[in-house]
Amino acid sequence: MAAPLLDVVNLHAGYGLTRVLHGISFGLAEGSITTLLGANGAGKTTTLRALCAMVKPHGEIRFGGERIDSRATEDIVRLGIAHVPEGRGTFVHLSTEENLRLGAYVRKDKAAVEQDFDRIYGYFPRLAERRHQQAGTLSGGEQQMLAVSRALMLRPRLLLLDEPSFGLAPLIVRELFSILRTINERERVSILLVEQNAAMALDLADQAYLIETGRVVLSGSADDVKRNDAVRASYLGY
Amino acid sequence: METFLHQVVAGLASGGIYASVALALVMIHQATHLLNFAQGEMAMFSTYIAWALINAGVPYWAAFCLTIAFAFALGLAVQHFIMRNIRSTSVLPFVIVFIGLIVICNSVAGWIFTYTIKEFPSPFPKEPLFGQRFLSSHELGAISVTLVVLIMLWAFFRFTSLGLAMRAAAQNPGSSRLVGIRVAWMLALGWGLAASVGAIAGMMVAPIVYLDPNMMSGILLYAFAAALIGGVDSPGGAVVGGFLVGVLENVLGAYVVGNELKLLVALVLIIGVLLVKPSGLFGSVQVTRV
Amino acid sequence: MSAIAPSVGAISARPTSERAWLLIGLAVLLLAAFALPFVLSSYRTFQFTLVLVYAIALLGLNILTGYNGQISLGHGAFYAIGAYAAAILMDRYGYPYWATVPIAGVLCLVVGFLFGLPALRLEGHYLALATFALGITMPQLLKNKHVEHWTGGVQGIVIIKPDAPFGLKLTPDQWLYLFTLAVTVVMFVVGWNLLRGRVGRALVAIRDHPIAASAMGIDTAMYKSLAFGVSAMYTGIAGSLGAIAVQFVAPDSFAVGLSIGLLTGIVIGGLASIPGAFFGALFIQFIPNVADQISKAAPWAIYGIFLIGFMFLMPMGINGAIRLGWARFRHRKSAAQREGG
Repeated sequence: MAAPLLDVVNLHAGYGLTRVLHGISFGLAEGSITTLLGANGAGKTTTLRALCAMVKPHGEIRFGGERIDSRATEDIVRLGIAHVPEGRGTFVHLSTEENLRLGAYVRKDKAAVEQDFDRIYGYFPRLAERRHQQAGTLSGGEQQMLAVSRALMLRPRLLLLDEPSFGLAPLIVRELFSILRTINERERVSILLVEQNAAMALDLADQAYLIETGRVVLSGSADDVKRNDAVRASYLGY
Repeated sequence: METFLHQVVAGLASGGIYASVALALVMIHQATHLLNFAQGEMAMFSTYIAWALINAGVPYWAAFCLTIAFAFALGLAVQHFIMRNIRSTSVLPFVIVFIGLIVICNSVAGWIFTYTIKEFPSPFPKEPLFGQRFLSSHELGAISVTLVVLIMLWAFFRFTSLGLAMRAAAQNPGSSRLVGIRVAWMLALGWGLAASVGAIAGMMVAPIVYLDPNMMSGILLYAFAAALIGGVDSPGGAVVGGFLVGVLENVLGAYVVGNELKLLVALVLIIGVLLVKPSGLFGSVQVTRV
Repeated sequence: MSAIAPSVGAISARPTSERAWLLIGLAVLLLAAFALPFVLSSYRTFQFTLVLVYAIALLGLNILTGYNGQISLGHGAFYAIGAYAAAILMDRYGYPYWATVPIAGVLCLVVGFLFGLPALRLEGHYLALATFALGITMPQLLKNKHVEHWTGGVQGIVIIKPDAPFGLKLTPDQWLYLFTLAVTVVMFVVGWNLLRGRVGRALVAIRDHPIAASAMGIDTAMYKSLAFGVSAMYTGIAGSLGAIAVQFVAPDSFAVGLSIGLLTGIVIGGLASIPGAFFGALFIQFIPNVADQISKAAPWAIYGIFLIGFMFLMPMGINGAIRLGWARFRHRKSAAQREGG
């Protein structure tokens, strides 16, 4: 089996004196969609933050074979990891188009960047309509699409998504997730998806990990995890 | 009527200076939420450097450009070596450092260049242009230079990728990191630019008020008033505020309070705006989450 | 946690033997202070009178900025008001010098409180800006034609140094020093009681956690305005004493440099510290004298370097450094005792 694109071994992280992650290990194969599930406070967001060095990671994180756990966020971005944070992190005072342009900030291929605008507007026509509008005035669903698009403008190898379904109507989430599936298949963008909405996440993902109080307690293919009785009872509600 | 018009127009000339310094203040406030009390003294010090260069025989516009470069480096250095290393939730340590900077700039200028008032040359001709009587050439030149600088800055922030990155870093440093922007460098650049703008203002005002270490303290107050009136987060507001304050100062100074009390106008404006409408004309109200 | 922690309640926590030593030390210092004018020259006595004056002013500023967190860059204005009040009362109305001190105090208490009311709406650096503007415009306000009749305009007012009362065999300098010393002791004892008790704790609570403080029932607005008033009162009293000592008031003595000097004093001495007022006062009185010999600009350059340097190296000022050193010494002593025993 090929080496995983992202390989995390024994990751510890926390905020000040509070330890949140107590030795998480997981892997993500290139081209796959993997989801981290768990309840509020389990450590899912902290995991994504540690991957991007927004919190200091202790442990081994390998991306494409290279250790990245001692690098700065700005350098990790340049390796091809795009993070759509909790709360979307939109630049609310800038326009939609400026937000997208910032997503491509580190790229050197200017011509391809212009083409990518068309590609992104193709996936999200509503953003095209609002391209000169101030991003803070977009609806919740549109801001989420903008956040994902901004990340895609990087042409990342790996896309990190932190609770993209938060605060969105189910219909919008379904639309968003189907676009994510398309992007994953068509452009080979690997996706690490953190979600509280276990049902929708397991429908989208190939692999799943369940995190409880900072530890991985269950892992497997999405189908297997979906059928697991404990998961069904606690997270799927049936 | 003619004198009134003259006061208004002269007010526009000084207003351009206030607008420039106010813009520098707003730039730093946008990026750091700090009011750079030392903006004026840094500009004054840079102007002294210009004077020294010119005195050593360097032609005016070459000295102008070299001074801008010096001011840029000064601003960058202050941010990188001093401001960056202060971690505090309260503003007091920052205010203390700003006062320290003021005092150092002022005293070093006095020490190197002495406290005697010096003449600073103007690059513009002595005779009024176009034969009119409202504006001296220098005043006209100062307004023009101010406007050119403001337009260039606007274009820089609006159309270049670096300008966009700086705006982003000022508004949302967390998200900026996530797109790969090196936020610390952006801050340093912002300080450098602000210091350069201040230096240009200093060089434009020195021919009028003569060069001495205390040259900028009054101007700083007017610039603060302008920044507050325009809205301390709005660059456009700072510019409008600057011209407004310049005209108000001149008109009120001529007809209401008399020339010795002109600075009182700045004081009243500052306190008035802070009490009545702290967000200014164009700024947004800050809501703090508990 | 604030890097500038107050010394509230620290002494009562110490063992009785230490408290005894501290009181003895204080008594010795007081005796030395009392003996000082009889040992030193006239000029030195005058200089130390000013040290006491600055100490009162610094305690005043510290109440507002150190303990209560309201940044004032214009406290020189209150000093000026106190000074001019003393000068005008003595010169124009023939008041005796000792009466001008409490009058200056009450005047500044009221003015400060009135200032404190609108200041409630100004946070952090906006208050700093407003007070900074005041500090810069003060000389112009004092020179203004409309009040020239009172203030003596640019030339200012000259007053006569009082003689010792009751025919005591003291020179005017010696008497003035002792008078100032007495006022200093009174002001510091009052300040100590205020700041060590509930009032001090309330001020600090408002500084560090304003929302929590008001949620706990502390009348934030009242305390903050009163802090302004009391702080102004201290500084005004200092101003009146200073005017009497220097025998002269003029607008340019009260430029923004005075406010900056006071700020430097509390930073050097220690924010939110009472003994720090003396360290700071010694600094702002004697450093300029020494540095002046190097160049006219040197004192200010030193102030600036110290201001920035202290923020990096000694944010709690000299007083804080001493207490930290003392705490470490005690810690090591008790650790050694435990290991030995």
